[in-house]
Amino acid sequence: MYKIWLILRSEFWRRVRSTTFIVATLLAPLLLIVLMFAPALLGELGEESSEHTIAVVDDTGTLLDRLQDASEEASRLSFVAAHPPADSLRAAVLAGAYDGFVVLPASLLTDDNETITYYSTESSLGGPARLENRLEDAVRDAVLAARDVPEKIQALMERDVDVSSQVLSEEGEAGSGIILTFIGFGMAFIIYFAVFIYGQFVMQGVIQEKSNRVVEVVVSSVRPFELLMGKVLGVGAMGLVQMIVWVALAGAGMTFAGTLLALFVTPADLGVPTDASAQEVMAAAGITMPTIPLSLVAWFLLFFVGGYLLYASLFAAVGSAVEQQQDAQNLMYPVFIPLVVPLMFVTFVVESPDSLISLLLSLVPFFSPIIMPLRMTAASVPFWQTLLAFGLLVGGFVFTIWVAARIYRIGIFMYGKTPSLTEVVKWATYR
Amino acid sequence: MAQLHVSDVVKTYGATTAVDHVSFSAAPGRILGLLGPNGAGKTSTIRMITHITMPDSGSVTYEGKPVGPWSQQRMGYLPEERGLYKRLKVQEQLVYLGTLKGLSKQEARTNARYWLDRFDATNWASMKTDELSKGMQQKIQFIATLLHDPSLLIFDEPFSGLDPINADLLRDIILDLRKDDRTILFASHRMEQVEQLCDDICLMARGEIVLQGALREVKRQFGRNTVVVEFGGSDTFVDALVDADVVRVNTRTAHRAELTLTGNAPARRVLDAALSAVDELYRFERVEPPLNEIFVETVGEAEARRMQEQAVAAA
Repeated sequence: MYKIWLILRSEFWRRVRSTTFIVATLLAPLLLIVLMFAPALLGELGEESSEHTIAVVDDTGTLLDRLQDASEEASRLSFVAAHPPADSLRAAVLAGAYDGFVVLPASLLTDDNETITYYSTESSLGGPARLENRLEDAVRDAVLAARDVPEKIQALMERDVDVSSQVLSEEGEAGSGIILTFIGFGMAFIIYFAVFIYGQFVMQGVIQEKSNRVVEVVVSSVRPFELLMGKVLGVGAMGLVQMIVWVALAGAGMTFAGTLLALFVTPADLGVPTDASAQEVMAAAGITMPTIPLSLVAWFLLFFVGGYLLYASLFAAVGSAVEQQQDAQNLMYPVFIPLVVPLMFVTFVVESPDSLISLLLSLVPFFSPIIMPLRMTAASVPFWQTLLAFGLLVGGFVFTIWVAARIYRIGIFMYGKTPSLTEVVKWATYR
Repeated sequence: MAQLHVSDVVKTYGATTAVDHVSFSAAPGRILGLLGPNGAGKTSTIRMITHITMPDSGSVTYEGKPVGPWSQQRMGYLPEERGLYKRLKVQEQLVYLGTLKGLSKQEARTNARYWLDRFDATNWASMKTDELSKGMQQKIQFIATLLHDPSLLIFDEPFSGLDPINADLLRDIILDLRKDDRTILFASHRMEQVEQLCDDICLMARGEIVLQGALREVKRQFGRNTVVVEFGGSDTFVDALVDADVVRVNTRTAHRAELTLTGNAPARRVLDAALSAVDELYRFERVEPPLNEIFVETVGEAEARRMQEQAVAAA
């Protein structure tokens, strides 16, 4: 045990003090933020360029006004009156004078089945949908006005109902449903990437020790099992430190998000008093910070550690069988596939978290580290299920560590030809 | 009293038997040479002594107890394939490997300083290992083997890759270590090194021991059937002797020949032939056979016996 601790400590320090580690730990959140906001920013830029001017031939005599009245709103469509013939409009659109044109026949207000066609030079999905919304509103208003419907009723018909969702559990409301599910996705992918990347670190470490030939000196002082565990735990400790730094940064980001937001937006713009608290600013901006149940954070960490131990030991076994990273390709599949399978079920589990398949997936040790935390955010999972899944996971990693140790103690002395998968499996059965 | 006992040890890897019922002992204050060609089972045997692998059957004991983690702490092992952590500084490297052998950090630091001094390497301490030359790295590895003052030392081909100066330094240190009553095991296929260093030998071939005992005894056993001749002038008499089936040639240069007498051929036949052919005779001596000769002869015989056994088994 003491030897495992010595190796763990050495592995940990050697990695944590390296410039690569420090830079990666500090830069990764920045990169993540850029990645998160890049699509939104790009979308924003794209939308600005999609300011459309549409020529309207209005035979109803009332719709164009209604469309123009409403066009100050944010739908980025503006309407100008135009006159037939259609041929000259066509030419004008092609010449770029307008983005498109549309003919509104008089029958549009009377015939329910009337359809109209929007002509433009580009086939954008957003354009016609936005036009349709605007036209629907205009037609509805025109028809209601024509029938002398009282304003009160018109107002009623324009009322929007916003639906937000809340997940119920025995502990009460567990924050906003959608955001929680979003966090669930986040956790699933973080566990996947963390297990994969830290597993690779373990494998590289094993390969380096083997190709350096330093491994023989070390195992003349400690059992191969101790070296394996020391390495796995050392890299794991490094991973935990990295995670904790990131969680702390994220926590700080959430706490100070309101303050940060206030730097860019004046509270008055959001319709809140200038002396509003950060939280009020956030609420006004439509950003609600989720409250994540502590039990979920605890389970997330437990499943991360369990999943890491299970896979990292297998990565180490693969590393022990080869002399260079490239040779590991074929042996990686049995490790890689069970790691990827749960990713394919992520959406399914979110949509039907209580189905039998979701339940089974969240119990299987190879999948549970990714699926169970996700399921817990999508539904309220009975405590016994979580506990069972974790118990099975513990059994799972005890088993993989045992198998990996048996492969490892043979693999580290095998030089020359890269072994096949069957050979590697056979090593586990050697005395 | 012998300290290390290897008793009837067998080790198989899949279908190959790497070590086949091997027994020998090593005593403190003596150097035991484990000899044999590549693939003879030397390294497999050493790995069982160092408790890196476990024998399928048989036992390895040190000071009367089966080897285990406890004996690893008292043992220094220099493997044939050398290797160190490239990124670590020399000092860190030694301290880490020392603590794995059970030293406290402080002890490891003190001992590392002592040995670095002894190898004239004090100012390497803060250098990264991969900044050192190959010879320097060898020294560091050697220090790592001795750092924890082990009572059992195992060197697997310690001279491979060493330049002559460092090889001399290493030999002196090994001989020094012997004086301190340590048990030393030395594996090699380089016969002349074994002859210079070892007190006892253990000759392995194909996983079996084919010959063992005190080096002197073994040599005496093979008699003084070797003749060394040094001369000036024509060396054609050697060819004539070989043709007449009187001698076999061990080594031969223009003015020196080391010959083994075949059968009961008298040594004076060589002297007669030489005197009648050469211009000048500088040396004529009957000597014990060099270890190399004994090795070839024994392994050759063992191979022959094995083939015979296989033929019998097949019939």
